[in-house]
Amino acid sequence: MTAIGAKPAAGAAMDIPSTIAGIILLLVIVGATYFLVGAGMMFYALIGVIVGGLLIAFGVHFVPVGGAPAAMGQAPGIATGVAMLAAGAGLAGLFGGAWAAEQGLVVAVITGAVGGGLMMAITCMFVTFIYVFGMGIPCASGKVAKDPITGDTQTEYKSQGTEGHGLPFVSYVGGVIGGLLGGGGGTLIYIMLLDVYKEALPGMMKALPAQVLPIAVSLAGIFAVGMFLVNAVLTAYNITGTIEGPHDPKFKRFPRALVASAVASALCGMVAILIVAM
Amino acid sequence: MESIVFGIGITALAGALATVAGAAENTESDIGSQGDPNSQVQLAPQMGYIHRIFNKAIAGEPPAYGLWVALGAGLAWAFMAMQINPILAIVLGSALAVFVQGVYATTAYLGRIASLSKFGQPVFIDVLKSMTTVTMAHAFVAIFTTVTICHLINAALGHPFPLPLLGLVWGIALGAAGSATGNPFYGKERQYQTQKFGAGVPIAASGNIVRYAEAGERNSLDNGWFSAKLGGPASGLCFGLIVFLELWRTVIFEKIGAGWGAIVVGIIIILVFTVIDRYIEVWARKNYGPYGEPAKEGS
Repeated sequence: MTAIGAKPAAGAAMDIPSTIAGIILLLVIVGATYFLVGAGMMFYALIGVIVGGLLIAFGVHFVPVGGAPAAMGQAPGIATGVAMLAAGAGLAGLFGGAWAAEQGLVVAVITGAVGGGLMMAITCMFVTFIYVFGMGIPCASGKVAKDPITGDTQTEYKSQGTEGHGLPFVSYVGGVIGGLLGGGGGTLIYIMLLDVYKEALPGMMKALPAQVLPIAVSLAGIFAVGMFLVNAVLTAYNITGTIEGPHDPKFKRFPRALVASAVASALCGMVAILIVAM
Repeated sequence: MESIVFGIGITALAGALATVAGAAENTESDIGSQGDPNSQVQLAPQMGYIHRIFNKAIAGEPPAYGLWVALGAGLAWAFMAMQINPILAIVLGSALAVFVQGVYATTAYLGRIASLSKFGQPVFIDVLKSMTTVTMAHAFVAIFTTVTICHLINAALGHPFPLPLLGLVWGIALGAAGSATGNPFYGKERQYQTQKFGAGVPIAASGNIVRYAEAGERNSLDNGWFSAKLGGPASGLCFGLIVFLELWRTVIFEKIGAGWGAIVVGIIIILVFTVIDRYIEVWARKNYGPYGEPAKEGS
């Protein structure tokens, strides 16, 4: 089966038993961490990690991804995978955020967000450039008759036998918002874990803070990359294939991804914190 | 002042290297047919169209490049720890990573094509022999330049991440930028060259890729030659701008307003690209189409 044949199977409905089970699991993990490390900095780091994971999962829903059909101009969006593109943007943001980590939490998270948004802005602009000047194809959404931001009508620019093509302006804006949220979320996870490791590692390894700093940075960095991928892939499963951006009906599925992402981030965060706390 | 000039020089060099990396990455992935358009290369024999196109899409470009660049960077880092000159260390690390890419390409081609045997698609050993080395050569250029960027960022600009982690981050970003920009050009313009220019490929035509060249059957080297004309350079420009502008806004403006300078400049750059994107979109709407009547409200 090709990706074109993969029609959305389910709507935005929440599965109540699964949601309740997810929330209970989340509370158990948060409670267990509270029991093990107390109400200190490490516990707040876990909360930060969960918030970062939620930002990533929410942000991935904004990224217009067309997958294989987009590569043939058969469907709108960027011609690559959901998790892949979001990871590329989010990690570019994490790179910027980690650089600004010394300037405080707020500046670093916003720097990371802008880094992710910048990567998506440039990439989306080049996607439009290739479609228009390389392939002679205008942008047309397949899901809405009018662009919700510019009001441009879409259907008459769709070529025959396709679901639309290129990146309508609303998809471009969605891509930039996705990059902003992903970059900010990834940086938040990194900074939270970096603080935990900077605090705990010197005592654990009986070394000076300056000596353990490279280890703390590496550990926090690799955990942030890992958690980013966990949340991006989880969300990709929720989207199932392709999404055009915030105007796509599939966007309404995001609450399900948020519950799943909160549980996954809490579990990953607990492991990341307990390796130095126990 | 001197440090800022030095930073600008490093930023410009990194941007230039990234441009080469993006172009090589996209050409490599198109010769190896690794991006999303490969769905059609995989589909074609199932629709009865036997071809001689390489096929190694067992992983997306971003994770594959994440692996190869992180491997190259990790090995270069290990060689540098052994007191080997950084340039030699980066060359050696990238060369070893390219061997992993070669093993990946070979096994991926054999596995993917063998899976199509029930549709009558043969495994062409001459395709394997002639294409694999070409993808490896392009991959070397992409990996070497990206590892060099990471080394410059780490050693000259002082980014806190160690070299292998920077390799993973920028390898994934390289694959994401290259596949996003270059894939449609290879997928639509090259594989479906017989379809109408200026229109998407009708879904009914799926699998009917172009299989014959000016002389004989088309192979993946022809595809590399074609995509190196626009898809490759555009991917290169895209990744080059990402690396250059990200470093530039940090190196020059980070000191202004305790980090807020870089943020404001970043937002301005995003807005500039938004305006350019909108201009291109409107230009296309004025010059191409409309192809039919606008839909009625509520339809």
